[in-house]
Amino acid sequence: MALPTLTALAPIPPMRFTLAIFLVIVVTRGLAADATARINTEISAAWDAQGISPASRCSDETFVRRVYLDLAGRIPTRQETQTFLADERDDKRQWLIESLLESEDHAQHFADLFDAILMGRADEGTYDRRAQHGWRGYLEAVFRDNRAWDRVAREILIARPSDSDNDGSVWFLYERKDDHQAIAEAVAPAFFGVRIECAQCHDHMSAHEIEQAHYWGLVAFFNRSKNADTPGGPRVAESAIGGFSDFANLEGSSTPNLLTFLDSSTVPEKRPTSDEKQDDEDPLYVDGGIPGEPREPIFSRRKKFVTQVLDGHPLLARAMVNRVWAIMMGRGIVHPHDELDSMHPPSHPELLDWLSDDFAASGFDVRRLVHSIALSDAYQLSAQRPAEATPPDSFAWYLERPLTAEQLARSIQFALRGSFENNALVVKELRQQILDVLPDTIEIPVSDALFFSNNEHLDEFIRQSSGDGQLISEVKRMQSQTERAIWLTETLYGRLPTQDETLAIVNYLDQKIDRIDAAISHVAWSMITSAEFRFNH
Amino acid sequence: MNQSPQRRSCGSDEHTVHRRLFLQGALASGVASVASFNGLFSIPTLADEAKRRGKKCILLWLCGAPSQFETWDPKPGTATGGPFGAIPTNLPGIQISSLMPKCATIMDKLAIIRSMSTKPNEHFQGIDALTRGDQPRPPFTRPILGSVVAQQLGQLDSPVPQFVLLDPCPEGNEFKAFKAGNWAGWLGAQYGPVRAGGDYGIPNIEQLDSITASDHADREALRKFFSKKYENDLHSSAAQSHNAAFDRVKGLMSCAPLFDLESLPMDERQRYGGGAFAQHVLQARHLIENGSTFVMVANGMPWDNHVYQHEMHQMLVPELDHVIFQLVSDLEDRGMLEDTLVIAMGEFGRTPWLNEARGRDHYPNAWSMAMAGAGIRGGVVHGATDDLGVDVVEGKVDNRNLFATIFRALGIDPHEAYDLPGLPTFHRVEEDAEPIAEVLV
Repeated sequence: MALPTLTALAPIPPMRFTLAIFLVIVVTRGLAADATARINTEISAAWDAQGISPASRCSDETFVRRVYLDLAGRIPTRQETQTFLADERDDKRQWLIESLLESEDHAQHFADLFDAILMGRADEGTYDRRAQHGWRGYLEAVFRDNRAWDRVAREILIARPSDSDNDGSVWFLYERKDDHQAIAEAVAPAFFGVRIECAQCHDHMSAHEIEQAHYWGLVAFFNRSKNADTPGGPRVAESAIGGFSDFANLEGSSTPNLLTFLDSSTVPEKRPTSDEKQDDEDPLYVDGGIPGEPREPIFSRRKKFVTQVLDGHPLLARAMVNRVWAIMMGRGIVHPHDELDSMHPPSHPELLDWLSDDFAASGFDVRRLVHSIALSDAYQLSAQRPAEATPPDSFAWYLERPLTAEQLARSIQFALRGSFENNALVVKELRQQILDVLPDTIEIPVSDALFFSNNEHLDEFIRQSSGDGQLISEVKRMQSQTERAIWLTETLYGRLPTQDETLAIVNYLDQKIDRIDAAISHVAWSMITSAEFRFNH
Repeated sequence: MNQSPQRRSCGSDEHTVHRRLFLQGALASGVASVASFNGLFSIPTLADEAKRRGKKCILLWLCGAPSQFETWDPKPGTATGGPFGAIPTNLPGIQISSLMPKCATIMDKLAIIRSMSTKPNEHFQGIDALTRGDQPRPPFTRPILGSVVAQQLGQLDSPVPQFVLLDPCPEGNEFKAFKAGNWAGWLGAQYGPVRAGGDYGIPNIEQLDSITASDHADREALRKFFSKKYENDLHSSAAQSHNAAFDRVKGLMSCAPLFDLESLPMDERQRYGGGAFAQHVLQARHLIENGSTFVMVANGMPWDNHVYQHEMHQMLVPELDHVIFQLVSDLEDRGMLEDTLVIAMGEFGRTPWLNEARGRDHYPNAWSMAMAGAGIRGGVVHGATDDLGVDVVEGKVDNRNLFATIFRALGIDPHEAYDLPGLPTFHRVEEDAEPIAEVLV
């Protein structure tokens, strides 16, 4: 089902197409509302069944900060918060969700998230290469254009970009440098939401559907691939021969590595006998390839994987739905979010089934999925746990979560400088320090506290935010210490200070009035490094 | 439906670590330090009552595996004995390699085991078995000795790290790979080591010059005020963990000098000798004196002398001899030897015969190691090998017996079952392997 997206509508001048916009928005909203209604029904039915009273609906102040962080990857500016609070429309939350989903910040934020999820953290040299060879740009385009997720999976796994705009899609395989086990171990969670490391040496001990043959089968789908540096840039070539071997289990008996993965039927392929030599002849490759590009085998294992295993596999939709749910809700319907195996039953099985079917039927429309979750009642609950005994997988309150390194870096930059730079030192420092994205449990290590307390680049960034229009000079311009306290709290926390907080800030500033710049930077530091800023709630 | 602190799938805690290692991706050589450093100081959600038994341990990890012939079990004048002689010790009738004249004078304080006989004969598997106490049982990861001791004897509320790995050499072939792995196993990352040594400092532990100590303290007080308010308003366990981490900053910063070799007295540094291993053994003593429970000192993997075995050992053994002598004497002088177990060993021994490059190859069949201090009876030599050092002929023991001995010496029940949800039954030492009674007090 092809749905007109909101992005496609954005550039249309409103006066000329009022009617069209009206209709389309109604249609879009109507469909999203279906999914939202379903989420609301399923989640509240489970509350009723378990006798859970959910938290109350969150305030607008809370909502605006939360939704900016989840959709745009940063806290709102003081002005953005006030604009939202002053908006009197009943459906202003929906309007905000929609406008954020169309924003460039959203593309950047989801590119940040999916870079960490699909590729893992890396040293700065690797981040540079990801940017230089188009991977970063590819991810940004995927989310800017709201590209269908099944298409993205195909582009990444076939890794034969048809035009230079998609060159970056090869990087998922290329960065793993011909390490075919690393590729298999990345493909399984990325597109099927399962982890298979266990199955390298033995069938999965408790999730019996994950067999050792699947581990080595998945490796085999990629083991004819080899990195190639072409005039057009990095490519992942593929041979038409080889890649046959046996794997041994713990008992020592060995099995051939057939092209098989999970419940898909084994892709037939003729195996040479042990004394048979295969020749890597031209007829094994597609005729008339593009000059300069690696030739493509007629029997391409990567392509077979995509057409015979990936396409139509229910886990492709299910894994993405569960992951997006985890991004928005703080934990997956299956938890951990990338272990959709028989060991980890979903908390809301029917909802997960329904959303997965709906996601596939919508043409793997990621933005529509995000939209429907953001609109749900559960997403808009207060972060106050209603009772000690209420389990987190009831989604009866908004589960607080630490900001990712990038959310933190973006938020600090916006709050202090009013703008954002992807390559700022503070971004690099933070992403080398705070590695977790969608953590299974929240544990803040002391090394983070040491970082916030003593890292020189963070310290410099805060102290030097004293230029025109930047936080320290804005605060300094205020007439009274009370106004300063209010400005700081509104900017950093998006709310007014309590009386106690005002008093604490005023006292601090009064004591150090002879060094007011330093004093303001200390207050900013103390607010940025406190839990209210560190978490989304 | 509270989450268990260490999530397990397939009954394995490997996944938690996998995910973190995956996120770390190409941060390769920093992996062990980052993962475990993050871990040790995480405030445990289930604040187990820390048991304070006061026993400590220093493991001199002689990675690569030293030769028993050039250390504790010389065979002078035989076909396998090599060019170095044997010398008498202060134990009547007991000789050790002539490369170890200093240890020869303190043999009454040492316990030597000459009858180690183990299975793995490759480094990675050997390191695994001799630092964890047993061979792997996939997919479960047995915690390393230091993690077990830190968990059993450590003081979680101490500002000083309880398990420290001092290893100035980031490299070390298989040991490098091993260092990148999961050290704390199923005990969880909070029992992993803090890694320091050489250029490895603890990041961000020093206060910046741009702020005065009082401003540092004042702004922290303000931070705590805001952060506690949030924690209380939301009854937030995440904020609690966040605030607890900040609560440890001051204490940790105060022990920054413990990790600074330069801060150790020059006369002591000279007395231990200029080598990196010697310097870090001194630092280990210093850490133990100041509250660490387990310090493991390594120096990459220097003992794997497949080439020029004699020349290499001629350099390495005298330093080891000197360092053990200094350390044991210092601990005794300070009245700490009774509570501090010192262990010196590698992952196996070396072949009686030489290869074509005049090296000795891996030999787990019959080898030696040494201990002293807490719970250990000095002046004992346990077991014996035959005339050529090919086989153990008396008192054969393996890694399990050794670990049972170490645990017993430290006052830890060697055979206690690990009662961890989702795991099959494991014991601290499997199969009821007996400690080596002869070397225990």
